[in-house]
Amino acid sequence: MEKVAPLKNACKNFEEDLVLYYYGENSDADRGRVEQHLVSCVPCRSFVDDLRRLLPQIGQQAALPQAFWDNYYRETIAKLAAQEERKSRWRNMLAPMRLWMVPAFGTIAVAILAVAIIIGKGGLTSLLDRSPANIPQEILVDSNQLEFFRSLDMLESLSHLERQDSDNAAPKSNQSSLGNSVATIV
Amino acid sequence: MIDTQDCRDEELVVLCQQGRGECFEPLVQRYMQKAFHIAFGFTRHAESAKDLSQEAFLRAYTRIKQFDGRSSFYTWFYRILVNLCLDYARRNGKVVWESLDSTSEAVGEQRQFADSRFQPDQEAIAGEASRRANETLEAMPKKQRTAFMLRNHQGLSIADIAKVMKTTEGTVRVYLHRAVATLRQSLVEFV
Repeated sequence: MEKVAPLKNACKNFEEDLVLYYYGENSDADRGRVEQHLVSCVPCRSFVDDLRRLLPQIGQQAALPQAFWDNYYRETIAKLAAQEERKSRWRNMLAPMRLWMVPAFGTIAVAILAVAIIIGKGGLTSLLDRSPANIPQEILVDSNQLEFFRSLDMLESLSHLERQDSDNAAPKSNQSSLGNSVATIV
Repeated sequence: MIDTQDCRDEELVVLCQQGRGECFEPLVQRYMQKAFHIAFGFTRHAESAKDLSQEAFLRAYTRIKQFDGRSSFYTWFYRILVNLCLDYARRNGKVVWESLDSTSEAVGEQRQFADSRFQPDQEAIAGEASRRANETLEAMPKKQRTAFMLRNHQGLSIADIAKVMKTTEGTVRVYLHRAVATLRQSLVEFV
């Protein structure tokens, strides 16, 4: 196999400028500077020569037949027409919609959305459901507490009777109030 | 009646924006070859290149009202196309290198690194160089490859490439320099 000669590197601080020089992208000042350098620098001259030989051949575009382009053009125009057709179909569908309908439909949509969110979070069900499990403990009366209040009532009634017993010696007119108290206890 | 064939790109765009969709057709005519070749540079597959470049035209047409004239039409259009091509490259990973000549009836008329005076062995060397160049381009970072192809294959200026790639001119210069240096290094035996 043929031995490949090592590449002569261009001056590091000039290499980027040389690429731009090849493509004609230097500013006028840089172009003058590069040209001046090339006169005296062999590796940089060789670098530019390599670019001139190699780069025009990379990515050379094969000439495709006219029939290919005619077909390409026809296809693209047909696709554009199909796209336009789809767009105008939508436009026709929406055409009967009058201007005032847009905010009206918007409001309805927002209302539906709000209801859906409330229902979704169980808002309505929680409002309608009155089972004891859903009543907060703070306002739920404990059955033990109820018994306690009843016994308090009873004690109050007993003390009331005791007071009446102690008043046995009192005039007969008090007997009717005793009757009332018994009736209260019963 | 306006002859749209003589209109400048920007005039055609304004007419399209005014609802005259048929004025987009001359733009397709003007840029279809460049668009196809750019897409082919990315995909190396003729059918995909055709689909991608046509899709770029469809998108440009759909978004024509968004074109504000801050850049030229072709820069704006190339940006759409290059983005589509980069998306394609991301989706498909490694590209399969196909010679465009195989899709052409002009097979043998145009060969990379070869002309009609070449002998068969020289053609073989040219074919090898072409293959090497393609492999080197494929292995290159996408941004370097994009900058190189837009400059070398399409002749876009560095300023336009910077707009297409949404980056600075300085960055494009660096990409271009690295791409060229890499290619020169890989093709050392063909120099």
